[in-house]
Amino acid sequence: MISLLEIAERTQTGEKVEEKTWDMDLFRTISGLVKKYGIEFPGEHCFINMDDDLGERAFEAAIELLEKVGIYCITTRRRVKLTREEILTAIHEAPTEILMGEGRDRRVFKQRSVEGREKLNVCPGHHTPYSEDLAPLVVRNFAQIPRTDFIEGFNFATVDGREIMGPPMEVYASRRQMEWMRDGVRKAGRPGLAIVYYPINTRAEDLICVMDPECGLRRTDGILLTLLPDLKMEQDMLCAAIVYEEYGAFKLSGSFSIAGGFCGGIEGAIVEGIAKPIACMIVYRDYIHYTGVEHVHMLNGRQILVPGTNWARSVVNQALNRFTHTICMRWVIPTSGPGTELNLLEGAMQSIEAPINGMNLYAPRHCRTTTNHGQTPLEAEWIIEVSDAVIEQGFDRQGGNELLRKLARRFEGEKPQDGFSITECYDLIHHKPKPDYEKVYLSAKRQLTEMGLTLV
Amino acid sequence: MELSNLPHEQRDLLDSLRDAIVAIDEERAKELAKNIVNEKIDPNFAIKHSIADAAVKVGEKFDSGEYFLPHLVMAGDLMDEVGAILGKNIPPEQIERKNVIVIGTVQADMHSVGKNLVATMLKSSGFQVHDMGVDVPSISFIEKAKELKADMIALSSLLTTTMPYQKEVIEDLKSMGLRDQFKVMVGGGPVTRQYAEEIGADGYGKDAIDALREAKKLLM
Repeated sequence: MISLLEIAERTQTGEKVEEKTWDMDLFRTISGLVKKYGIEFPGEHCFINMDDDLGERAFEAAIELLEKVGIYCITTRRRVKLTREEILTAIHEAPTEILMGEGRDRRVFKQRSVEGREKLNVCPGHHTPYSEDLAPLVVRNFAQIPRTDFIEGFNFATVDGREIMGPPMEVYASRRQMEWMRDGVRKAGRPGLAIVYYPINTRAEDLICVMDPECGLRRTDGILLTLLPDLKMEQDMLCAAIVYEEYGAFKLSGSFSIAGGFCGGIEGAIVEGIAKPIACMIVYRDYIHYTGVEHVHMLNGRQILVPGTNWARSVVNQALNRFTHTICMRWVIPTSGPGTELNLLEGAMQSIEAPINGMNLYAPRHCRTTTNHGQTPLEAEWIIEVSDAVIEQGFDRQGGNELLRKLARRFEGEKPQDGFSITECYDLIHHKPKPDYEKVYLSAKRQLTEMGLTLV
Repeated sequence: MELSNLPHEQRDLLDSLRDAIVAIDEERAKELAKNIVNEKIDPNFAIKHSIADAAVKVGEKFDSGEYFLPHLVMAGDLMDEVGAILGKNIPPEQIERKNVIVIGTVQADMHSVGKNLVATMLKSSGFQVHDMGVDVPSISFIEKAKELKADMIALSSLLTTTMPYQKEVIEDLKSMGLRDQFKVMVGGGPVTRQYAEEIGADGYGKDAIDALREAKKLLM
């Protein structure tokens, strides 16, 4: 694979491009590729892609996109060009399994296949802010979920009671995050569980300061290094990628595209959605990705479902699993908050998709998350339960599509609900939902069973 | 002046210009704008009717999912061009001043998607928007706002740890004795209305559409 030093050099020597020019060129190029490769939403009945030929065309479009435009470095405002050979080499040289964690907590996180029958790998939580008083307790609760393969860190507004602002406090807070994570997994009886550092900020010093085999990030842990939307990279992230490549920690990224942004609609988002994880592999050496397509109106919590978004996500993940070495995860992001039936049903929809399209599961959380108001362990246990049932009951693309259609009808006329804070609906001491949330959970379970996915 | 007072042909011209902007048909929109100038239709009225109406319709198309961010950018640029054609014969003293908004993502935050959406929605709705980009220090916002005699500073933040930089801008404005000169609106993923009130912001936008509504409420 092309070296990170070579990438670094191209960020200094590539063609200078204004950001607005990049954005609009990206839109025009993607729009052209959507037409050229005949990428078209078949209609509102379609939640899962059944057309393998379309998947192949979408993959070709994504490779052509990367070859034509490259990746934009926002730090130097330069284009990092890539050749077709460099791109194809990367997608075949990337690993399909990542070893993580230590001792008895060591796990193998794997790429899946479309309609694969193995149980999913799981990152159950975080990537949402918590207050420092709750932090270690929250970590313990998520680490207590037996299927947890790794656990990701989180952001927070204050540390030692002080508002975090500026590099010195960010560095201090970054190290405290790791300390709380270590403390939490140890208290859950899983001291070797892999931890992924969630950057407090994206400055190089914040990313690198947690590297510490004794009480910070170990070589068997990971870090989140994400490309920005519209195929944009940062030199600070590249600094961290170079350091962690030598150190040995694995890297993961948020590699989804955003329909409604500069990639255009859902069809354009498919092209960027396939191209982005490949770009992440090349410039940051990310090998685990939360992939697919989100819609800007869903990320904002304006609409529960935007037609075609599930289908687009399906095309992306099927293509990545069929034609590349990409370990895909489904980031479950309901538009409703924790403690609500809609949150669980939206989470169910996304975790029904996951095994069928070849995705693992990643950190379910409310799309409009705020401090202590993003997730509880119940949602993580729920999406595991649902995806296991999909596999055990042999749902294929056709069956999954029918199930998703029924579930989509359930959301008609509904509006996203805010939900509750973690301590309002979940008992962190006893690791169980509070009685009202338990009732909501049982109701969601009953509704899914009535739709045809039997949950005992 | 009322639209109904104009002759049919002139009304049609104004409606056609609005439709051409909504369709982002650059060539036709410019041609129609020139025709409107030749017909000697009051340019301020034409700007208000055709461009302002087009802005509302473009926003509706984004809201409904028919248009995307690049369409907003193109529509905004086209409105500028059409506005320049219509406005070239307006005596300077009669040019209606647009509300000026300086917008950016605060220091140490590299996220641009939400800010871009808000900036383009504001621009395509008739505000004069100066986009400072991402990772913008407090003093840069303030200097640019002073230079442009801006009406509002709009601050985006997507990280919990960069939200304090929104507060810093407000505090700096206070310490420089400038707080009353500019409205301040904040937004971004982790930002809430409650936080906006706590730090003393004048407005809060939950998303781009909400931010536009808030800006109109504060400035128009």
